[in-house]
Amino acid sequence: MFEDRPDIVERVVSYLKRPVRIDAALDRRVMEEIASVAPPRARGLLTAWLTGRRIAVSPLGALAAAAGLAAIVVVAYRGALSERAGAGATGEGVARQYSFVVRAPQATRVSLVGDFNDWDAARTPMRRVGAESAVWTTAVPLAPGRYRYAFLADGSRWLADPAAPLARDEEFGPPSSVVTVGGS
Amino acid sequence: MPSPVRLTLPVVAVFASVTAAAQDPRIDRVPAESRAAVVALIDSARGAGLPVEPLMQRALEGTTKHASGERIVAAVRHLAGDLGRARDALGAPASPAELNAGAMALRAGASSETLAELRRARRDALIVPLAVLTDLMASGVPADSAAAAVLALAATTRDADLVAFRQAVERDIALGAAPGPAAAAAASSFSAAPQASGAHGQQGAQPRKP
Repeated sequence: MFEDRPDIVERVVSYLKRPVRIDAALDRRVMEEIASVAPPRARGLLTAWLTGRRIAVSPLGALAAAAGLAAIVVVAYRGALSERAGAGATGEGVARQYSFVVRAPQATRVSLVGDFNDWDAARTPMRRVGAESAVWTTAVPLAPGRYRYAFLADGSRWLADPAAPLARDEEFGPPSSVVTVGGS
Repeated sequence: MPSPVRLTLPVVAVFASVTAAAQDPRIDRVPAESRAAVVALIDSARGAGLPVEPLMQRALEGTTKHASGERIVAAVRHLAGDLGRARDALGAPASPAELNAGAMALRAGASSETLAELRRARRDALIVPLAVLTDLMASGVPADSAAAAVLALAATTRDADLVAFRQAVERDIALGAAPGPAAAAAASSFSAAPQASGAHGQQGAQPRKP
């Protein structure tokens, strides 16, 4: 707009560069204003939590925070897994294969259930020793410990192991069997 | 870092811990009417530093046995109490598996004093001695006799020999021996036998019967 009038541009520039007089008491007044503002702590806790705020985090800081959070999750998950894997159930240490055998002539399917497989009939199905056999078998790895188990025939018939000690169960009814696995 | 952020991280960690039982997918198998109570008992046990996996297993066992929700909750609560008593007897350093075995022994009739004596007598893990103690009592051996026999062997006998000892007692009982004397006789026999003979030891990696 004023490209063809350089003198006007120079006058504007010199005007803007002119010295400005500042009140000598300005610093004091600014500091008094700052001091009069209530500090954040004076607000209620709820207000403090509900008030939005911006947090400036460097990329490195963000990475460190993410890594820390991931570490917490991993440690918690591994802790839960280790307990489920044995330490918290009934056994701990090196697992060895144990075979389980039961005779169930009338059954069309048999499962092994116990506190090593969450008492889940779908987890450890047993297989017949022969096509026409009444003998069913399976093997599972067990760490040293004491385990309670039973056989579940056709999904509903509860069979204790006649070859193992019985564990009476006055709370749930049908007794289970016990296997104790040594570690030393 | 601003204080709300510093406060948030522990809160998140505690929340994650508290809701761990609720997030365990296995809890969905437990009858709906008892699920909340079981989760509360498990969370409470976790807060007290007790192992929670045995509690979950007890709830799942009741579920598979088609027990009522009320019975499942009662059984889980009962076991949580036994785990606490086992920890009192065995001491805080006891492993989760030891506490579970201790809880079973207490339930079978062992005394807290016996558990504490076992802890003092044996430097190795107590899982198998406690299991053998429980099984002996379940076989009809009086609690005092079972405790005396296991305590006599616990200090120097390997796990495998303790299991063999239990099998010997059960065999003698099946053959007609009185449970108490059978346990005492087998304990004498096993404490006199050389431990390194391997006669009752592990049989390698072959699959074995219980």
